[in-house]
Amino acid sequence: MISLRGVSLVYPNGTRALDAIDLEIAKGSFVFLVGHSGTGKSSLLRLLYREQVPTRGEVTVDATRVDKLRRSKVALLRRNVGVVFQDFKLLGDKTVWENVAFALQVTGARTKDVMRQVPRVLDLVGLAHKSRMFPSELSGGEQQRTAIARALVNNPKILLCDEPTGNLDPSNTNEVMDLLHRINLKGTTVLIATHNAIVVDRMRRRVIRLENGKIVADEERGYYLAAGGDRGTAAAEELELVRSRNGLGTNPLFSE
Amino acid sequence: MDSGRIRFFLSEVRRNFARNLIMQLTAIGTVTVTIVLLGGFLFTRQTLGAIGGNVIEKIEISVFLRSDATTAQAKRLQATLEHDPRVRSVEYVPKAEGLREMRDRLRGQIDTSLLTSNPLPDALRIRVVDPARARDVATFAAKQPLVDKVEYAQDAVEKLLRVFDVLGRVGLGVIALLVFTAAIIISNTIRLTVFARRREIAIMQLVGASGLYIRMPFICEGFIDGFAGAAIAIAVLAIARAELWPKLVVALSFLPLHAAAIDGPMFGLQLLGVGSAVGIVASWLSVGRYLRT
Repeated sequence: MISLRGVSLVYPNGTRALDAIDLEIAKGSFVFLVGHSGTGKSSLLRLLYREQVPTRGEVTVDATRVDKLRRSKVALLRRNVGVVFQDFKLLGDKTVWENVAFALQVTGARTKDVMRQVPRVLDLVGLAHKSRMFPSELSGGEQQRTAIARALVNNPKILLCDEPTGNLDPSNTNEVMDLLHRINLKGTTVLIATHNAIVVDRMRRRVIRLENGKIVADEERGYYLAAGGDRGTAAAEELELVRSRNGLGTNPLFSE
Repeated sequence: MDSGRIRFFLSEVRRNFARNLIMQLTAIGTVTVTIVLLGGFLFTRQTLGAIGGNVIEKIEISVFLRSDATTAQAKRLQATLEHDPRVRSVEYVPKAEGLREMRDRLRGQIDTSLLTSNPLPDALRIRVVDPARARDVATFAAKQPLVDKVEYAQDAVEKLLRVFDVLGRVGLGVIALLVFTAAIIISNTIRLTVFARRREIAIMQLVGASGLYIRMPFICEGFIDGFAGAAIAIAVLAIARAELWPKLVVALSFLPLHAAAIDGPMFGLQLLGVGSAVGIVASWLSVGRYLRT
């Protein structure tokens, strides 16, 4: 479904964001991309929806050579790849319904299809009852679920999430991760870039670890830190970091 | 396109428009001023052209015959000249006729009764088809036998022709400058809207809207700016024409202003076309520059 061969990305200022990446992600899988800020997680995702073109190497998404895609074909690729961000990127002057419908309307969808697809995805993310509310009237988790609904409304085969829980408290984080899990069970390939150790360790899925633009670990049923490393200490540190950032004490939801 | 899609599209255009109302009004105002000036300029040029054409058309070449030329010879020469394709008409003016005309013209200024004999020769008056070729015709007429002297307002004709030529060139320059200014201002307006809507645009690009689809509302906006500006300008021009023109015709009755008839509706359509085209082109360029990622 997703394949990177010898992919390097060097920004014009000389920063080497990705360095000779080789990667295969199977259809229907659920994959975490972990690593500290600035290790190339977001850059890698951007290559997959053609926001960025690799300096070298081949990027294939759903049998399409994304690195060689002509500009006029980029729109078609993006209808096949949903993207979700840390800051939701919702339009404040549109309701939940309008935000989701927007993604269909601007691709020229027929009204009939909009009327069918929007309730379907709002139902899936559990926001059917809040469809007339504006983003400012929603919790962070609900906003992110709206963004996910928007990403899914075109029925993409792949869902890319760049720090989807970065702005969320633990209970909203759980809510969103459960939703992503359910979406994956329906057959969508889900790729999540995160540095939330708790989320990663709780899910126990494939974990790809990036450091300085290189893949340093790739494990099925992995942890945030590769097994054999100083996992306990690092996870504890990360946990402390998350708690202090969220202003929370010990949260029973996260004591495994 | 079903009605829902059209409604969505129109609501996007309306949002664009409302977001920068002041700037939109500025753009429309600029187009209005430009088109009023353009229309006024074209109209003036056309009027002057018509007046000038009227004057030039009236220019005559006077061919004075030698005093020994007979009437028959004069008529023969008239026939020869009439066959020339450059010549519109030739009028034979016998000297008695010439004297009568002169007396009429000079009545009250000079006591023509003092003239005891007729000092005038027989003459032919030539009107040419193309004033620019008056000189050729005059030269040709001067070479004919029995012709004593040829007179025509050579300098006047040539100066007038030169004035119209210069006027035409300057006019083109002024028009180009005005249209350019309007285009720049519309383009800036669209750029402001694009900037104000950059979040929407980013999301459109993210979810796979085509480039044309993203552009369309902005192109529409530019079109509206141009069209509205031109429409207001045409209204201003129409009012000016209805109110001022009759007074001008009376005030300047010595000029043949009635010759300057203009096809109002056609002229209006052309101005509307210019305004709309400027709006569309300007917005197309400014959106294109922003979306090239």
